[in-house]
Amino acid sequence: MTAVLDGAVPVVPPGSERGLRALAAQTRVETWRLLVRLCRNPVALLFLVLMPIGFMIALDIVLGDRISAVTGHSALYGTVPMNAVATAVNGSMVVAVGLASEQTSGLLSRLWVLPVHRASGLLARMVAEAVRIPVTTAVLLGVGAAMGFRFHQGWLGVVGWFLVPVIFGLPIAMLITTVALYWAKTPLVEAVVLVLVLAILFSTGFIPLSGYPRWVQPVVEHQPLTYTIEAMRGMSVGGPVLSPMIGVLLWSGGIAAAFLYPMVRGYRRASTR
Amino acid sequence: MTVLRGTRPNPSALAQWWVMTTRFIIPTFRNGELITATAASVGFTAGFYIPLHEFMKPAIGGMSSYGQFLMPLIALQAVYFAAMSTAFRSANDSVSGLTRRYGSMPIAPMTPVIARLSASLYRCLIGIGVALICGHVIGFRFYGGFLHMAGFVALLIVLGMLLALVGDVFGTASRNPEAAMQWMLLPQMILGMLSVGFQPAELFPKWIQSFVRNQPISQWVSVLRALAGDSTPAAGTVTWKLLAISVAWVVGPALVMGPLSASVQRRRS
Repeated sequence: MTAVLDGAVPVVPPGSERGLRALAAQTRVETWRLLVRLCRNPVALLFLVLMPIGFMIALDIVLGDRISAVTGHSALYGTVPMNAVATAVNGSMVVAVGLASEQTSGLLSRLWVLPVHRASGLLARMVAEAVRIPVTTAVLLGVGAAMGFRFHQGWLGVVGWFLVPVIFGLPIAMLITTVALYWAKTPLVEAVVLVLVLAILFSTGFIPLSGYPRWVQPVVEHQPLTYTIEAMRGMSVGGPVLSPMIGVLLWSGGIAAAFLYPMVRGYRRASTR
Repeated sequence: MTVLRGTRPNPSALAQWWVMTTRFIIPTFRNGELITATAASVGFTAGFYIPLHEFMKPAIGGMSSYGQFLMPLIALQAVYFAAMSTAFRSANDSVSGLTRRYGSMPIAPMTPVIARLSASLYRCLIGIGVALICGHVIGFRFYGGFLHMAGFVALLIVLGMLLALVGDVFGTASRNPEAAMQWMLLPQMILGMLSVGFQPAELFPKWIQSFVRNQPISQWVSVLRALAGDSTPAAGTVTWKLLAISVAWVVGPALVMGPLSASVQRRRS
């Protein structure tokens, strides 16, 4: 007897995975999937909430008074942005660990043979970052506000303050994603934590520039995390915005330019092996 | 009819312990774990000493250098990393079913735990060695003679074992090796920062000073600092009271963790 399974296989017209409409719809599904997975990840709570908030509060207790004495304003105007950016990086790391396991489990190759727009996988990762970063930034801002953080530069400053971590976080997400795509077995968490901790300890969000030994000051002054912190400091408490913002844009543009093509190539490579 | 009559094997507990211990130690020669441990110690030393040594110099209560002041914390984080690694191993054993498998074999219940702790001792010794080299580079020296130096290293080893036992229990009870290891970063960070390892208790806000002074990491840091000594008298002196407090902070937790380890081990096998 022959069983006819009518309608069991959805009929997909050829070429339906092309075009902007397909891209938008599939990116939406994929973005949602990434955000749900992140929320259910047991280490997300640790790296996106407890660690940055704990570090921020402890840092304020340990060094807050002495830093305020040097800069003339609360140390929170440096530590809240610093932890906002650190959280953005942590988030990319947690998501990238998931990506590496999706590659080894074969999910990426599975998606590659389905009628799915080629760009939707990566685009969704970037959209998910752009959605996630303002949320974690807002959580840190809430804690900071309870401790005395206030905006003094009007609504434009608030909007800009929320945008800076996204502007810097997306290129960093591209960097971390690229690493995860090429080397699925790297100890990604250890590597990111080590680099991030060093970036934090050598930034003006930790202690003021004048507190560092003279020979290391140029490194502290021009590294990307310092630029983002200084831009956000200018947008909240006041001070120069344009020059640190140029630094943020140059670093972000440079990292994005360097990693966009390797990331796209790496995604194709990881999906087709 | 055939009767299969088995003889109950009588393996040597010592040989079992040795096999289980080398099982953890041999992979470290090739899996890059030693590089990670070294990088962590070097990163921690450079990351806290370089930014803070000038900023903190006026605040460290008359000690000769910030390197001398910071060293106990550097050494403690080194043994803590060994404990995190133990948590990862025990969680792996627990999740992969190896703990349960051991439970079905003629192995004494605590032998796997002791083997993991022995492997942790090996990691501790390497961590302490790397930390002492890092400390030497930033100007740390022993001023107290051989007995105090031996006490410094011995206390670190004992603390490393205690922390490894804590890590082992936590890892065995958890269901996710990576998460277990990473969760251990949180207490280290909070208690480390809120201790007298970075700056003297007087510089903390009033409301938290008594916590900072009396929490275990601060107690251990104080003893280690006194054991290391200094060219000035500011490091404190080794008194019986100081030793008794730190011994109490080892024995007390050990009395809780030992039985807890046995019970968690039994529950997961």
